[in-house]
Amino acid sequence: MTAISIDHVSRSFGTVRAVDDVSLEVRDGEFFTLLGPSGCGKTTLLRTIAGFADLTAGQIRFGERRIDTLPPHRRNTGMVFQNYAIFPNLTVDGNVAYGLKARSVPEAQIKERVARALKLVHLDGYGERWPHQLSGGQLQRVAIARCLVIEPEVLLLDEPLSNLDAKLRVEMRAEIRQLQQSLKITAIYVTHDQEEALSMSDRIAVMRSGRLEQVAAPQDIYRAPATPFVAEFMGTTNLLTGTVTGRDGDITRIGVGQREFRAPSRASNGESLTFSLRPETVRLLAPGEAAPAGWATLHATLARVEFLGALTRLELDLGGGTTLRVASLDVLPGALATRGCVVAAYDPRRVTVFGGR
Amino acid sequence: MIAVSRRDTFPLAITVLALAFLSLFLLYPLLKVFGASFLDRTGTSFTLANYTRMLSSSFYLGSLYNSLLMGVLATLVTTAIGVPLAFCLARLPIPGKSALLALAALPLVLPSFVAAYALVLLLGRAGIVTRFLRDIGIPFTSIYGMTGLTVVFALTLFPFVVFPTLAAFKAVDISVEEAGQNLGSSRWRTFWTVTVPIVMPAVLAGALLVFIEAIESFGVPFVLAEDKPILAVEAYKLFVGELGGNPASAGVLGVILIVCTALALLLQRYYLGKRRFSTAARRTPPELVVAPWLRRLAAGYSWGIVLIALVPFFAVIVISFMEFRGPVMHPNLSLNNFRDLLNQSSRPLVNTLTLSSAAALLAALIGVPIGFAVTRFRSRISDFLDIVAMTPFAVAGTVLAIGLVISFNSGWLVLTGGWLILVLAWVVRKIPFNVRASAAILHQIDPSLEEASINLGVSPLMTFIRLTVPLMIGGVIGGMVLTWVTVASELSSTVVLYSGPWATMTVVMFQALEGTGAGIASAAATVLIVVTVLPVALVYRLLRRHELGMM
Ligand SMILES: Nc1ncnc2c1ncn2[C@@H]1O[C@H](COP(=O)(O)OP(=O)(O)O)[C@@H](O)[C@H]1O
Ligand SMILES: [Mg+2]
Repeated sequence: MTAISIDHVSRSFGTVRAVDDVSLEVRDGEFFTLLGPSGCGKTTLLRTIAGFADLTAGQIRFGERRIDTLPPHRRNTGMVFQNYAIFPNLTVDGNVAYGLKARSVPEAQIKERVARALKLVHLDGYGERWPHQLSGGQLQRVAIARCLVIEPEVLLLDEPLSNLDAKLRVEMRAEIRQLQQSLKITAIYVTHDQEEALSMSDRIAVMRSGRLEQVAAPQDIYRAPATPFVAEFMGTTNLLTGTVTGRDGDITRIGVGQREFRAPSRASNGESLTFSLRPETVRLLAPGEAAPAGWATLHATLARVEFLGALTRLELDLGGGTTLRVASLDVLPGALATRGCVVAAYDPRRVTVFGGR
Repeated sequence: MIAVSRRDTFPLAITVLALAFLSLFLLYPLLKVFGASFLDRTGTSFTLANYTRMLSSSFYLGSLYNSLLMGVLATLVTTAIGVPLAFCLARLPIPGKSALLALAALPLVLPSFVAAYALVLLLGRAGIVTRFLRDIGIPFTSIYGMTGLTVVFALTLFPFVVFPTLAAFKAVDISVEEAGQNLGSSRWRTFWTVTVPIVMPAVLAGALLVFIEAIESFGVPFVLAEDKPILAVEAYKLFVGELGGNPASAGVLGVILIVCTALALLLQRYYLGKRRFSTAARRTPPELVVAPWLRRLAAGYSWGIVLIALVPFFAVIVISFMEFRGPVMHPNLSLNNFRDLLNQSSRPLVNTLTLSSAAALLAALIGVPIGFAVTRFRSRISDFLDIVAMTPFAVAGTVLAIGLVISFNSGWLVLTGGWLILVLAWVVRKIPFNVRASAAILHQIDPSLEEASINLGVSPLMTFIRLTVPLMIGGVIGGMVLTWVTVASELSSTVVLYSGPWATMTVVMFQALEGTGAGIASAAATVLIVVTVLPVALVYRLLRRHELGMM
C-alpha cells in the first residue's frame, strides 16, 4: 500500500504541454480517477508515473521514495493497457507468469501464484488457453491478473474498458472496483467516461488541456463542480449566464433574458454570473400543484419531449432564446397534457454559481 | 514508439555499437575512397588533378554518359513495362494470379548477371539464336550494348516497380474513386485525376530503385556492354584490372558513381517530401469488369512478361546440361559441365554456402537491433543512425569493396586476403534491407506489448531478447533467407575482394565468362540458380512479397 505524491509535474511534447504543472496527492489504497476529454493529458500523466514518459519538470514519489528517477522496469507499478497488450506468443499462464519469471521466483511458487491470480479474476481453468481463444473481457482479466500477480505498489489503468461492449463494461467496472477494494491497492484509473469515473472512484481529478480543473469525491464533483467546464463534462446541465438583479437573504436573483433565476451567491447588483442547474433537479409542477417551500418557479412553454424509457428529457422554452433542459424519471401525464404552458420548479440551493463570491 | 526514459541505456548502446560498426566498415572506407580521389601522388596534399585528368579523358567522360544513359533507359523501359503489369495484377481478373505473383518476385533473387550471360549465350555473337537466324538468312548482328543492357535490366528489375505500384493501386480507397465518379467525372478522368496521383509516389520509388540498381550494376554491363565504358566496370578495371592498382583514378569514378546515386535519392526525397500520400484503404478496389478481349490481352501481357523474364534462367539451366567442345555447344545432353566444374574444386561451392550463411546471420544480428532502435526509440542520434544505415544503398558494391581494400590492406587491422572481408562487405551491403525489413515487422507489433513487459519488471534489453525477438522471428528468418540468397550471388564487391582459396561460385562463373569456359560458366550459373531458388521456395510461406520488394 502506497500513497502517491505528484509534485508540480510537467511534460511537454515540443510545444504541446501535455501535462502542465500538475500536483496531486493520491492516498494509500485509494481508487483515484483521472477524467477528461480525449487529448487532455491523462495518458501522459499516467505514463510519467509508469516511467514511459520523462518529466519535463517536477517529482513523483511513492510514499517518501522518489521514483521518477528510476527506469520504468524498477518502479514496481502494474499497468493495464487500453488494448490489453497480452503477449500473443504465450498462453494465459505464460502471460501471468511473465513478471514472476523475470523476478526469478521459484517454479513451484510461480505455479501457485499464477493460479491464485487467475482465480481472483475468475479465470481459473483458462491457464492453458492461447490469447486468440479468449474474448475481449477475458483478455482484460488476464491483463489485470498479470499485473496483480507481481504485487505492484500501485495499479495504473489506462481506459481498460473502452474496447468492451456496453454491458460488459458495466460488469467489469464493478469487478475491478471490488478487486481493488479487497486488495486495498492504490489505483489510478484513466477514463473519459464520467459515468465510469463516478461509479468507481474514491476521488476524481478532472483534467483539461494538461491542467487539473478539480479534484474531489464523485458526489462533490457532480453536485459542486468548480468550473463550468467540470459542470458540463460531468453530465448534461443548464449552463446559464445572467446579471444580478437583487437579493433575498443569502439567495441572489439573477436575470437571464426575460426570466429570473435564484441561486446562492453574495454577488452584488449588476454583476454578471454564470451558473449551472442540473436537469434532474428541475421538476414540472402538475396543474394547480404548489411548489415545495423555498423553491423557485419558472413559467415556460414545452418545446420538446424525448421519451427514453425510464427517463424523459424535456426542453422548455423560457423565451428570449433561453431554453431549459429538464430530466425526469416520472413525468406527470397531466403536466404534459397541458401542451404549451408549464410551470417548472427547482431548489435554489441546488444551483451552482461560478466566479462570484 | 516507446518513449523510454532518458536514463535507459539499451537503445543508446545499440545505436552506439551500430554506429561504430558502420563507421569502421562503411564510412571509413568511403572516406578512404574520397581521400584517394582528392589526394596527390604523395598522398598528403589535396588536389583536384585526378578529377581534371579523368574528366578530360573522353573515354572516362563517356563512362559517365553511358552509365547515366543506361540508368535512364533501364528506368524508362522498366517503368513502362511494370506499371501496366501492376495495374493488371491489382485491378483485372488474371487467371492464376497468385502463382503469377510468386513467379514475378523470382527475378528479385535470381542473379541478374546470369540473365545477362544467358542473353549472350542465346543472342550474342556466337549465340544459339543468332547462329540459327544467320543460318536461315536473317541478318542479326548481336545484342551487345545499350539494347542488351536495357533488355536485361527491364527483365530482371521490373519487380521493383511492380510490387510497390501494385500495393499502391490496391491502397486507393475505392470510395475516393467512387466519389470522383459520383461528382460526374468519367472513368478515365477519375483514373487520371484521382488514381494516378495516389499511385505516382510508389511508381517513383520503384523507378528510383531501378535507376540505382542499374547504374550500380557491375555484372550486367561487364557481360553485355562490350566496348562501351561503364563507371562501375571501369572503376573495377582501374583498381584490379590488367593496368591495375590505380586507386586514385578508381576513386574518382567511384565518387562520381556515389554522387549520381545520391543525387537521384535526393531528387526523389524532394519530390516525395512534398506529396506524401497515405490512404488507409478501408475497401480494397474490386477487380474491374472488362470486355473478354481486354481480359485476354491483360492475361497474355502479364503472363508474357513474367515468363519471358524467366526464359534466360531456363535457357542457362538447359544449356548447362549440353555438351561443350571448347566454346561450341553440341545438342547432346551431358553432365560434363558439372563434372568439370567440380573437378576444378568444390571449394567455391563450400565457400558460397558457408560465407553466405555467416553474412546472413551477421546481417540479421546487426540489422534487427538497428531496425528496433530506429523505429522504437526516436531521437536525434537514432535518426542519424537511420541515415547511415541506409547509406550502403547509395554505394555501388564495387566502390565499397575498393574502399575496404584501401582501408584494410595494411595498418592495425589487415583483412585483405581472408574471408572476413567478403562477409563484412556483404553484411554492409545488406544492412539497409535488414533494417527496413525489421522495421516493417516491428510496425506490425504493438509497442504496448514491450511496454507491458518492461512494466512487469523486465529490463528493455531482456524485453527485446525475451519478447520482441520471439515475436519477430518468422519475419527475421524470412529476411535472413533473402539476405543469404542475394549474397550467395553477389558479384560486384566479391570480385574485388576475393583472394586465393576464398573464391565463391560467382567468382568461378565470372572467371569462366572471361575465359572460354561457357560450359563451366553455365553449370556454375545453374548451381547459383538452384542455390537461390531452393531456399526461397522452401520458406516462401514465411516471406511476404513486400519483403522481397525491399531487396
Ligand atoms: N508521444 C507523443 N508525441 C507528441 N505528442 C504527444 C505524444 N503523446 C501525447 N501527445 C500529445 O499530448 C497531449 C495529451 O495526450 P494524451 O496524454 O494521450 O491525452 P489523453 O490520454 O487524455 O487522451 C495530446 O495533445 C497529444 O497529442
Ligand atoms: Mg489516452
